[in-house]
Amino acid sequence: MSTVILESAGTASTMRRNFWRGVWRVMLRKPSRLVGAVIVLGFAFMGVFGPMFYPDLLPHNADNIYAPMSGEHWFGTDGQGRDVVALVVTGSRYVLLSALVTAIITVVLGTSIGLFSGFKRGRWDTVLMRLTDMKLTIPGLPLLLVLSTVWKFGSAVEMGLLLGLLGWGGVARAVRSQTLSLRERGFIEAARGLGLSTTHIVGKELLPSMAPYIAMNMLIAVTGAVYAQVGLFFLGVLPYEANNWGVMLNLAVFGGGAMTTTAALPYMLAPLLAILLLTLGIVLVVDAMDEIFNPRLREE
Amino acid sequence: MKRLAAVVALLGLATATAACSGGATNKSGSGGGGGLFTTIDVNRPGLEPSAPANPYNPKGNSFLGYNAMKLAWVKNDLTDPNKFYPGIAASWDIAPDNSSVTIHLQPNGKWSDGKPVTAEDVKLSIGIAYTQGSTAFAITPGAAGAAADVQVVDDHTVKVTQDMTNPSMKFARGVLDTFVAPAHVWNSVLPADFWDKLKASRATGADAEKAREEITALGEKIIAFAPPKDTSAGPFTLERVNPSEALLVKNKNFFNAANVAPDQVKFLNYTGNEQIWNYLIGGKLDHAGFTAAPTNVMDRIKQAPGAQTIKGFSPVSVGLAFNQSKKPYDNVHVRKGLAYLIDRDQVTKVASPEGGTAAVTTSGIHQKPAQEWLGAELSALEPYKHDVAKAETEFKAAGLQKKDGKWALADGSPWKFSMHAPAGFSDWISAQENIKSQLATAGVDAEVVTTADYPLYLEELAAGKYDAGFWLLALGPAPYDIYQRLFGASNGWTNVAGKIAHAAPGKGGNWMGGPEEIDVAGVGKVNPGELTGKLNASTAEQAKPIMVELAKAANENLPLIQLWDYVNTQFVNTSRFTGWPEAEADVLRLPAGVWMQLGMVKKKQ
Repeated sequence: MSTVILESAGTASTMRRNFWRGVWRVMLRKPSRLVGAVIVLGFAFMGVFGPMFYPDLLPHNADNIYAPMSGEHWFGTDGQGRDVVALVVTGSRYVLLSALVTAIITVVLGTSIGLFSGFKRGRWDTVLMRLTDMKLTIPGLPLLLVLSTVWKFGSAVEMGLLLGLLGWGGVARAVRSQTLSLRERGFIEAARGLGLSTTHIVGKELLPSMAPYIAMNMLIAVTGAVYAQVGLFFLGVLPYEANNWGVMLNLAVFGGGAMTTTAALPYMLAPLLAILLLTLGIVLVVDAMDEIFNPRLREE
Repeated sequence: MKRLAAVVALLGLATATAACSGGATNKSGSGGGGGLFTTIDVNRPGLEPSAPANPYNPKGNSFLGYNAMKLAWVKNDLTDPNKFYPGIAASWDIAPDNSSVTIHLQPNGKWSDGKPVTAEDVKLSIGIAYTQGSTAFAITPGAAGAAADVQVVDDHTVKVTQDMTNPSMKFARGVLDTFVAPAHVWNSVLPADFWDKLKASRATGADAEKAREEITALGEKIIAFAPPKDTSAGPFTLERVNPSEALLVKNKNFFNAANVAPDQVKFLNYTGNEQIWNYLIGGKLDHAGFTAAPTNVMDRIKQAPGAQTIKGFSPVSVGLAFNQSKKPYDNVHVRKGLAYLIDRDQVTKVASPEGGTAAVTTSGIHQKPAQEWLGAELSALEPYKHDVAKAETEFKAAGLQKKDGKWALADGSPWKFSMHAPAGFSDWISAQENIKSQLATAGVDAEVVTTADYPLYLEELAAGKYDAGFWLLALGPAPYDIYQRLFGASNGWTNVAGKIAHAAPGKGGNWMGGPEEIDVAGVGKVNPGELTGKLNASTAEQAKPIMVELAKAANENLPLIQLWDYVNTQFVNTSRFTGWPEAEADVLRLPAGVWMQLGMVKKKQ
């Protein structure tokens, strides 16, 4: 018996090795994917460690407001004479953390509800899907605008929580459809025939088949959450925090006249560029993931 | 910023005051000239095509000075509240004791449909004013400066008498600052027994209360009233409105039509300041009122062909007001320490470089009229120049502790100074962000918190929810108006029927929570609320010593730190029209429509 266990452990580690080798191959085939991974890792690093490189109070200079791009200030300075790059870096933590929380909540809620609904079918399915339908009909932005008058969204987790609670509907529907399709396949039939438990079937058979799909959804949810919160801050309905990317855009356009003159343009471009880069990185990583998890796309 | 500009402009207009005898209409200069005059209404972002041409409707397509007319136009003189330019009234006589105002209408005043403007129009308009909550025509029993009687002397003369039980210097202003609507179009809005009801409302008891409620209820009906066609006694009449512009055409029947240059006036729609900036940079506007703009945008605007800015006085200042019910702001040394830590020049430079001048000190008065009111006493006030050492001394006197370079409360617990501003007021937010940085450099932990909009901000401020927030002050020129912002209802003193009452902090709208008596060096203990109340019935000469005492009290007690005094910056373009007001002219505080009625604006030849 022990020999069998040893053998299976060995097989698993070989598989894992093969998997990572496969990942590396996929990455190398299109260097853009590698760039994507570097960008995403870069943003993760910036969110976690970036603010540590700057003092709590960024230096300001009233004699150097809306300074042009220079070696000292790559993206110029803001209306208080603070370095724009420093604002983008220190502001990334709130944006990325809340986006991560949103993504986790979206995926966990959406996947559990979708899986449960699709697997159980019947009454549970009806109730949960009607709930999902209801949730999908609630217009997100107007609701957020109303909520922002009563809820202050002081922390990134609160922001992420709310956006997550508003965003799981699409994932739940998609996962349910996948489950409905997969549960009729032979391998699930076989598992049932073997008398394996529902937990095993869902956890070990169904979920791994859907993992890539869920992972991609999670990354896309990150970009969605970034757009949503930056948009809300840009509209000025959420509390002011000078280094939030959305607030930066708002101040650049409405306070600095970035759309009217060029002086505040770098101030507006910096957070925009950050969002653009983050989206690009995620799209490239999703492209790589698609091929890693989908054998039919592997061009071998 | 847009909303702040609107608030500041509105307050600037609303605080203007009353007259002696009339000025003559400017009949000089060659008439007309024609042309299209393009402008924006700074008080109204977003045109509403479906709104009626009704001056009482906040969204109405009635533009002050163009097709909405008042009896007279308040000048907002530095110290004299009783100065006006003629409007529907050609002249006025104010009784020396302020007990009555006799209004003489323009002899040639006509509505755009050719009917004459008569005393009956004025009487109906006064009736309407009662429903809208005017100061002279208030239905609150015992209100200061309320009218007792309205008498039509002849077709062109109306006499309004003040109720002398609680007189006010501002009575004439309250009377003359009244819209006039055509009785032959508007007479259906007031019931036939309106004046009887008004009489009944002045008594006490249930019947009077019912009459007051009925009069107030009429207000809503009047706001919604939509005349079938705009009938204007002003220089222009509304022709049409669409979502992008409102077009007004010259009223040929206007009494001074010969001197009104443009044939047409176009109001462009806008929703934010940046649109106004783009219009100005493109040279599209002949005039735009005060619009906040950063220096770089201002430079671009000035480069547009024919662009010019005219600067003048605006009786508005802004300060950082404290809620003294909250610790440690109840301690004057903390407030003084903060005043020493804030470099007001730097704040103004960052927040309002074009639209403000750093306050010379905290006196409660805008620096321009402060010279007139206080004279040499102004320089004797503590200027609170940026001085970290003095701030440290003050904080120590307050018992605050400095730990690891950071100031903490007397009991050692952390102290965070929380400043509030409404979202969208980008100059206020910018100022607070700068103050936050300045304070943090000196070891005071601070934060900026925004509130969704201005009405909610005022509501929460009044409810005592904030430690400190920005507060408009010095809303002159009437001395009482200036100081009631510091020592009025928001600081506990209410003026009902001429009697000053003080409410405890946190009660009756008292969110500033200042002390009832202030020990002023060289004067002794003063009750600033009662002194402010006295200003209501004082002449300018009587007011001066009181103003000095109040300025000292404000400077000594610092219920707020006066940060900057607004500058009224008007944008004009000389490419198509000339004859613009000079810098510092009093007409700058009035809409450009009034400049045209006075015959100032000319078509460029």
